[in-house]
Amino acid sequence: QEITVTGTVTDVDGAPIPTVNVIEEGTSNGVITDFDGNFEIVVPAESTLTFSFVGYSSKSVEVNNQSTINVSLASDQEALDEVVVIGYGEARKKEVTSSIATVDGDDLEKITTGNPAEALQGRASGVQVISQGGAPGAAPQILIRGITTFNNDKSPLIVVDGVMLPSGTNLNFLNPRDIKDFQILKDASASAIYGSRASNGVILITTKRGKFGKAVFTLDVSSGISNIERIDMANSQEYARVVNERRLNDGQEIKFTEEEISEFGNGTDWQKETLSDFALVQNYNLGISGGGENVKYLASLGYFEEQSHYQKGFRKKLTGRFNVDFQISDKLKLKQDLSPRFERWEDTPNLFYNTLRIEPLTDVYIPIEERDGRNEFSIYGRSGIGVPNPVATVSRVFGGINYFGLFTNTQLNYKPVEWLDLQTQFGFNFDTNRRDDFNPSFFIHPNEQNLINNVFRRITTNSDWVWNNTATYKNSFGEHDITFTAGLVLDEQRYNYVSAFREDIPGQTEELRYIDAATGENRSVGGNESVRTMFSYLGRLMYNFKDRYFLTGAVRRDASSVFPDENKWGTFPSISVGWSIADESFFNIDDIDALQLKAGYGQLGNQNINPASRFFGIGDSNYAFGGERVVTNTLNRFGNVDLKWETVEDINVGIEGAFFDNRLSLSVERYKRKSKDLLFQVEPPNYTGIPGTIAQNVGSMESEGWDASLGFSGGKNKFTYSINTNVSTNESRLQDIAPGIEELLGQQRSDLGNRFLKISRPGEIAGLFYGYESSGLFQNQTEINSHSGETGSLLQPNAVPGDLRFVDKNQDGVLNDDDLTIIGNPFPDFTAGLNMDFTYGNWDMSMQWYGVFGNDIINYTNLFGYSALNDVNVRAGALDRVWREDNPGADFPRLSALDRNQNYQRPSDLLVEDGSFVRLKNLQVGYNIPLEGVNKLRISISAQNLFTITDYSGFDPEVSAGGDVINGYGVDYASYPLTRTFLAGLNFSL
Amino acid sequence: NDFLDQPLRGQQELDDFFASGEASERFVNGIYQKVNGEGWNQINFFRTINEMATDDQWSGNTEQPRADITGIAHYNVFPGSAYINSFWEHNYIGITRANLALDQISEVEMDEDHKARLLAEAKFLRAWFYFELVKNYGGVPIVTTWDELFEPEVYQYTRNTVDEVYAQIEQDLTEAVNVLPLKNEYAPSDYGRATKGAAQALFGKAYLYQEKWMEAEAMFANVIQSNQYQLEENFADVWKPNNRYGVESIFEVGYINNEQFPNIGGVYSTTQGSRADLGWSWGTPTSNLENAFLAEGDSIRLRSTIIKHGEPVFGDPEVTSFDAAPTRNKSGRINRKFYVPTADRPEPYQIGQHPLSHIHIRLADVLLMHAEAAYFNGNESAALQSLEKVRERVDLELDDNLNGTALRDAIWKERRLELALELHRLYDLRRQKVNGTPRISMIMGPNGSFVEYNLNENDDPFENSNMGESMDKGILFDQSIHMLWPIPPEEIQLSQGSIEQNPGY
Repeated sequence: QEITVTGTVTDVDGAPIPTVNVIEEGTSNGVITDFDGNFEIVVPAESTLTFSFVGYSSKSVEVNNQSTINVSLASDQEALDEVVVIGYGEARKKEVTSSIATVDGDDLEKITTGNPAEALQGRASGVQVISQGGAPGAAPQILIRGITTFNNDKSPLIVVDGVMLPSGTNLNFLNPRDIKDFQILKDASASAIYGSRASNGVILITTKRGKFGKAVFTLDVSSGISNIERIDMANSQEYARVVNERRLNDGQEIKFTEEEISEFGNGTDWQKETLSDFALVQNYNLGISGGGENVKYLASLGYFEEQSHYQKGFRKKLTGRFNVDFQISDKLKLKQDLSPRFERWEDTPNLFYNTLRIEPLTDVYIPIEERDGRNEFSIYGRSGIGVPNPVATVSRVFGGINYFGLFTNTQLNYKPVEWLDLQTQFGFNFDTNRRDDFNPSFFIHPNEQNLINNVFRRITTNSDWVWNNTATYKNSFGEHDITFTAGLVLDEQRYNYVSAFREDIPGQTEELRYIDAATGENRSVGGNESVRTMFSYLGRLMYNFKDRYFLTGAVRRDASSVFPDENKWGTFPSISVGWSIADESFFNIDDIDALQLKAGYGQLGNQNINPASRFFGIGDSNYAFGGERVVTNTLNRFGNVDLKWETVEDINVGIEGAFFDNRLSLSVERYKRKSKDLLFQVEPPNYTGIPGTIAQNVGSMESEGWDASLGFSGGKNKFTYSINTNVSTNESRLQDIAPGIEELLGQQRSDLGNRFLKISRPGEIAGLFYGYESSGLFQNQTEINSHSGETGSLLQPNAVPGDLRFVDKNQDGVLNDDDLTIIGNPFPDFTAGLNMDFTYGNWDMSMQWYGVFGNDIINYTNLFGYSALNDVNVRAGALDRVWREDNPGADFPRLSALDRNQNYQRPSDLLVEDGSFVRLKNLQVGYNIPLEGVNKLRISISAQNLFTITDYSGFDPEVSAGGDVINGYGVDYASYPLTRTFLAGLNFSL
Repeated sequence: NDFLDQPLRGQQELDDFFASGEASERFVNGIYQKVNGEGWNQINFFRTINEMATDDQWSGNTEQPRADITGIAHYNVFPGSAYINSFWEHNYIGITRANLALDQISEVEMDEDHKARLLAEAKFLRAWFYFELVKNYGGVPIVTTWDELFEPEVYQYTRNTVDEVYAQIEQDLTEAVNVLPLKNEYAPSDYGRATKGAAQALFGKAYLYQEKWMEAEAMFANVIQSNQYQLEENFADVWKPNNRYGVESIFEVGYINNEQFPNIGGVYSTTQGSRADLGWSWGTPTSNLENAFLAEGDSIRLRSTIIKHGEPVFGDPEVTSFDAAPTRNKSGRINRKFYVPTADRPEPYQIGQHPLSHIHIRLADVLLMHAEAAYFNGNESAALQSLEKVRERVDLELDDNLNGTALRDAIWKERRLELALELHRLYDLRRQKVNGTPRISMIMGPNGSFVEYNLNENDDPFENSNMGESMDKGILFDQSIHMLWPIPPEEIQLSQGSIEQNPGY
């Protein structure tokens, strides 16, 4: 019995695919889909239909008497013929002899985030994404294969559709939905084509474009709430007992009588007062795309919003994208992209540290009867120990930024003959933002006051352009394939700002918070501009023989305006080779579908320093003579006239293969990167009278490690699965510094005697924790007496039982800063990602796991959490965790107000904790509702950061103090933790 | 190539800066900034902590006792105190500014007299900074040129000896004294600049600290005989707001009130003011100091030195019962010298805007140093003469028969009373010796007179009712350690250990 079957063939996004072959299996009976992806075929009721199309995996469906069969085809990812973007060109995956990791845009879409970098975490080996916390708009730091520089910016070069963006560009500006894929260029043979911009690796982002076929409309919505972790702090009674015990232990009088304590309630729970349980996240995307023979188009509009858990703080982002392709003639092609963006940010307070420190005895507000004559910002309680009232601080936050950005990209390709492609491309990235601040006048206490209100506004504009010109020659001679690319690139980055500040607005209402309303004498204005330019030549030859032996050689010559004339130019060559063993005639193992060996070498540069680094500049300030102000001039910028490029040398070897009908794929790579002439911000000794740092070219670093990834995929009947896992190891060591400099220090803390928490020394991992090593607590005077030097002098004469025993590391019989030593390593032994996708019929589920193993964290809150340093609050249960004669097994020293043993005045391993963790980053379950006339209707629920398995006692083990990775990573000052987010989603396509 | 040539924008380059006398003068003005530093704590607050480490002042603020302030005052010294650190750092920034000025200005085409004066001002200031350093830290590395900062060896400097530092100070001051104008040779708009008198007074002081009594006496005599200075008629007028560059003032930072530039006004009125009077109560006067005035019958200076809780403020008719917040500060007493009377308070009354100058050297100080130097030279009659001038003003008799150690002790006592709370005491107690033992060792330490007084005799109701600061202040003093402050640990780290710590820290 024959029936008529109709249906639509779409891709996974629901876009119809025209000209798909639909064939009755085992016969020659077949049709192709029309422009809208529709087909109609007459076949036996019990037959099987096969759907196939170039670039997609074929699919067979049993007809089973159904008259409607809608099919979606997955793109053929595994195939080695897949084309990847390699920078100023494209290549078949098989031809790529360097290390390039691809992350598909579809994978990013599973996570609802304002920043695509967040979704990259755990997706590719060799790519470490370090969260900067959960505050709205927080931008994660991306590290590719560790660290080879001490320069501030260690983030990779971002290239969007061929346009290089300024270093340190925050991926926030992109809508993750607009991204087709990421190509991450990990080694020098891949990235040397970007020369001096590429030493931290390169991320090539390709945005989605319109495809030939009927217009497809999509709507994607995900919306939900996030919730935040809290730390249990002591209540009033426990706090008061801790404060008393600190004093009693030093023979001082108690601060609270037992009678007073018994009348204390729980006191103020400051976390509860400042943080709400839930905050809103929402994400909406609208798109339309399609095209005919000559014009293809894609238009999208996205809105993303996230709220903070404080009363203040949010980020709202509206993005648009219009990508149009014109085939002007057979030989001439034009692409024009336009992507505007508008964002509003309200400042998110970062008060976690003070929220933990402020004592519970302080009331949030003063009594109503005392509020007479006080304005709304002055009705707050004053902490008895001088910690600013966090609720009051939140009430005074009136700061925010508005961004407007416009990214345009114009690309013209002319192919006069088949083997030559001439291309010129102009990318322009304009971004202006306006920062507004209002500081209200208030009076809580002489030390917590601002008697005169003020307003501040600053307008910043970045206008950057890149002009790429390339010619690509591509031809075959028998079994020889040659592709040669030559290019010339100019780019400019221009930054400027103007700012104004003035005091004394007659009132505090919103409509008066403008500079024009201010009347005060105290005012200031500012404005400046900074420009960096670069001029480059590049060339690349790709050669392959028999599609088995591959060779790529490239060179780039850059000149940068940031260096003095004699050091402006730098040359960055690279070479790599590959061998596809599986294609050899002698190689004949059925289960191995592909097996390729590759090796590459290259040099890269780094020029990412402040363009003013080579200059000595004069600033001005004030002094008074004769009762009048006089202007003073001082040297406030110390430059270096000998600056030159930082250079990175890089070797990469790897093997990759596909097995068992491409169901299993494996890739293992080993790399070593070595940098020299590091651009350093050297901090000279203070006796030089040079405040701060000076940029210098000194020293070298080495980064080495393994990247491995393994994937399985397959399925049976209605069940399909795909499991991908990756593991990365890295060690980034400092090799040399300048002659005479033996260590570099970072993360200076005034609480700890202005000592530094981080140290980097030649031959060691850069950015280790540095402090005193301790060996338990003194249990009695005998132990203190026996803790002595060779001459019998006590190492810690001020110690009493319960104090920390510090180790005389250099065994010189004296305990002092010569005994400072390594007390921890913030960098993990390895990081791993595990990504799993399952489908069963209309159901789908995905999980994304991420783990970091073997790293240490400095939990800075330990400085007060069990000591009540300066009488601040302690963690709940602190009384049970401090030493006392009847609690000799305690982890933390006895309480002491004077702390004559300096338990808490020196950096020590008391602050260090294990930071390993495993986190379920994302769990999503979706269901496709089959519906007539609709390409796709899917609903889903998901949970992000659902749980974290860790021993770490702070808010969140994924911490960074921000700023420079070497000196910031792994130091926890209690900043905004990652939040747990629950979302519901809808994907609709017509 | 033009495309690649991007200059420094928005800021003048050093290479183009020193083109005129005006620019040179503005640069020298910038060196003066580091005498007290900008902001409230950069340099000057460290001097207050020093005073707290004597018998004249408590740490004071019992609401926010801090290891890096209170601890130092009690000789439980926290080497990493930000104040110890920034004092070091900012004096050296001043030195480098002076070195650059000396390097550049000598090449500028300008009026030769003006040039010579600017160079001499820079030398005076460089000597000032090194003197501040050597008093507090002992021998320190000496940097005297701009060019050496760009040699690799600069990263490996070690500490010079105390003698070498003093030799450097003497050399600079010799040159400064020869060139600098007298006070009355300056236009009033230039008051506050280094004068010949200031350089001689500083020079004399540097001699005195080295116990070069002959040279010191001669140098102080130059100042006294210059006819540039005289004692204020009323002791109360020495520290009077808006009495800038008064007749007695030899070197001062002339603070003014300027709302728009809040770093050119005074800070002490806030940091040392009562917590009930918009102040922070650091460095409150001790009852021990009050007793010293009472024992001498010195009511004129007492009322202009100490304000006591519940009593009227001398010179401020609007305050009949002062609130010194004795539950929030140790002694219920406040430093009158840095107090701004109600009528003189600008609105708003804020730190960094007090129009009360900070006098570093004044004639009474020079007279007493002269007396001290003269005494040690055996010139007792000259000593008595200078001492008498100081006592005369405050209606105190002088026993003309004083001689020997009694005269010495009278001079020392006079310094305490005359200069109380003016931030000289710690240095005096360290350098003044009895049979080779520094006086600080007799006052502080487990058997020190101040410690014993507080633990056994003190019956002051304020000091005994607020134990937020412990009574045993000074008991931890150890002469083998505390005659100098620690080198900032940061500096030891930044210098890779080539700068060595003082013993005991």
